[in-house]
Amino acid sequence: MIDKFIPGLKRLADAIHEQKAIAGCQLMHCGRVGGIETEYCQGPSPVPQRLRIFRPVEVMTKADIKQCIKEHVEATERLLKAGFDYVEISGIVGYLLSNFVSSYTNRRTDEYGGDIQGRMRFVVELVAEVKKLCGDVPVGIRLCADELLDDVGGNTPEESMITYEMAEEAGVDVMSVTAGWQESIYPVISRDIPMGSWLHLAERAKQHLKIPVSMAYRLFTPDLPNKAIGEGKLDIWEMCRPMIADPLMPKKVLEGTEDEIRPCVACNVCLARLFRDAPMTCYINPVCAHEWDPKYEIKPAEMEKNIIIVGAGPAGLECAWVAAERGHEVHIYDKREELGGTIIEASKAPYGDDELYGQISFSKAKAEKAGVEFHLGTEVTPELIEEEMPDTVVLATGPKYVKGTAPGFDRANVVPMLDVLNGKAEVGENVVVWGNLKPGIGVALLLAKQGKKVTVVGKERKLGKDINPSFKWRYVGYLKDNRVATYNDSEIEEITDDGITIRTYDGYRIPIKADTVVCTEREANPDLKDVVQENGIELFVIGDALVPRNLSSAVHDGYRIGIRV
Amino acid sequence: MAVDPQKELTKLHGALGVSQAVIKSTFFEWRQTALELLGPSSDTLDVVLKFWEVAGVDVAKNFFPMLNLRKGQEGLILDLARALAGTGIANGAVVRVEKGEGPLEALIRWERCPWPTFAKRYGASMKEDLLGCDKFLQTIVAEANAFLGTDLKIETQKAIPSGDGVCLRRLYK
Repeated sequence: MIDKFIPGLKRLADAIHEQKAIAGCQLMHCGRVGGIETEYCQGPSPVPQRLRIFRPVEVMTKADIKQCIKEHVEATERLLKAGFDYVEISGIVGYLLSNFVSSYTNRRTDEYGGDIQGRMRFVVELVAEVKKLCGDVPVGIRLCADELLDDVGGNTPEESMITYEMAEEAGVDVMSVTAGWQESIYPVISRDIPMGSWLHLAERAKQHLKIPVSMAYRLFTPDLPNKAIGEGKLDIWEMCRPMIADPLMPKKVLEGTEDEIRPCVACNVCLARLFRDAPMTCYINPVCAHEWDPKYEIKPAEMEKNIIIVGAGPAGLECAWVAAERGHEVHIYDKREELGGTIIEASKAPYGDDELYGQISFSKAKAEKAGVEFHLGTEVTPELIEEEMPDTVVLATGPKYVKGTAPGFDRANVVPMLDVLNGKAEVGENVVVWGNLKPGIGVALLLAKQGKKVTVVGKERKLGKDINPSFKWRYVGYLKDNRVATYNDSEIEEITDDGITIRTYDGYRIPIKADTVVCTEREANPDLKDVVQENGIELFVIGDALVPRNLSSAVHDGYRIGIRV
Repeated sequence: MAVDPQKELTKLHGALGVSQAVIKSTFFEWRQTALELLGPSSDTLDVVLKFWEVAGVDVAKNFFPMLNLRKGQEGLILDLARALAGTGIANGAVVRVEKGEGPLEALIRWERCPWPTFAKRYGASMKEDLLGCDKFLQTIVAEANAFLGTDLKIETQKAIPSGDGVCLRRLYK
């Protein structure tokens, strides 16, 4: 960071101040995980990388350490000049300071290595220098309360508490408590980890510190930190991913409209893109990274229209509230009595997928507030469209679930995924799930957790290609834990009484025992398209009805058509 | 149409054998390419050892997720020994892992290995074959040590290229 950035930083700080908020900024040297485009990264010791994406570590000399401290101080000076009120130092999850702190990555024999006091020396010196400059401006630090690196010789939780005490003594004013490393084999912040799972670490930190303790990890709904603060386990609630999903979250909490908070689904697509130096995006927030773009604003419609939306799933509901906020008269229909479309079934899959339904609750609240009229339990027919003759029809009917064409797909033991997730289908002990995308993985895990012997067979070359890599590793792990076999790049050749025969992409044929075959394959749903077009009505097709994809695409489609129609 | 398991397995086994052979042929073809490009002043052994060092560093990365200090030194040694054996098995060798005499050692026994046969076919010396394999395994162990902060060693006690009939390597602390 050099001085030319001060004016820009000042604009940021000023904008935050204008909203009567405190402006804080984080200082971070990425250390071990800082080398992707470069040939190397920096760190205390040349410990090989566990994650292939990161470059080899170049060992920092003492002069490098001093220079790094100097640069942190200079960066702090710029932040203060720009008007920031709070400075936070990041020392977590694999970034430089944590590399020095951890016994896993710090094997130095000089004064910056050795025991925990030696490994903390860099942090202590850096904090002291930054604090000296900041004076009354508070300085916080993020440090791991539990590195979760016991398999590779990382710090013990007891050592971590010593680092907390040393940081406090060095002058920090706030401790941000975190857990895990990017190289840890344990999940920490993904949806499969229940919300509030890490609060015990904040509680532990408070027992060791006098300064306030803050925490972000998996505290996604205001009630959790509110309760924890009330119970004295936590002092400050941090939000990162939840505010990517909904930047207005704090405002909505203050206003008491929590039901209108768009909930983060902890998919980590934001992290996946960060690690690949790709532009920021959010799975669930279509406006993320487009806030500057007037095309993404919800503006009053130039001409108010009477709109029928067919399907009250995530795509339809998103489109409905956006269009209604713009002044259109919106009627949303669904043949089911319940809102949510196939998210109702998808949220029955294990490992946190129930959180997916939060998007439905959010869009329902927004739609109700915007005056959308709901017609549940009503199937839209060609006659209904011809009778109502709306200005616009949005088809958000979800996909068609299809069986394969091989012999045996018409057998009684071949059942649709939705019936399995709803408990309507009888499922035997040996199950083949046909389809290796997210829907197939979800139903496979549900059945495997019920004790079934499950095999996933799919024609995609790679399992779960519709899941971002920062979350897919969790599903792969759970499939392995639950002994689910997978065959990718394969077709079902035949279904018989005993099971199925698959044919791999290169022609090998493998028999698999199966009592039940669960179909998860989907295709676009063109129903009602003709009648709408024949009547000269404006038509949009969105979500899985257009192309079967995922929740994210449904929400993004819905929003984009909502602001356009 | 019912699957004929014998037919399927025969096809699959045949394809595996071909791919294993292609891997070894490719190594020797690249070796020849490097030597021709480097010219007559190059040292064959330097080139070959550098290759096995590069390969060892890369292969070791695949092992990092499965190495676990929580299993203790004894468990770690056995896991690493099995992983080293796996590199041979994947290439068509018959390799077994046994516990050593002490708790902190494992023996890895190559009862059959196709590499010396290929070395002969391509005119490489048995010394080069043995040292290349040693370099590969030593590099993996060194990388594992660098990753975990351990101090494991591997030594060759017998070698097929030396006429011992088996390769026997001891992994120990």
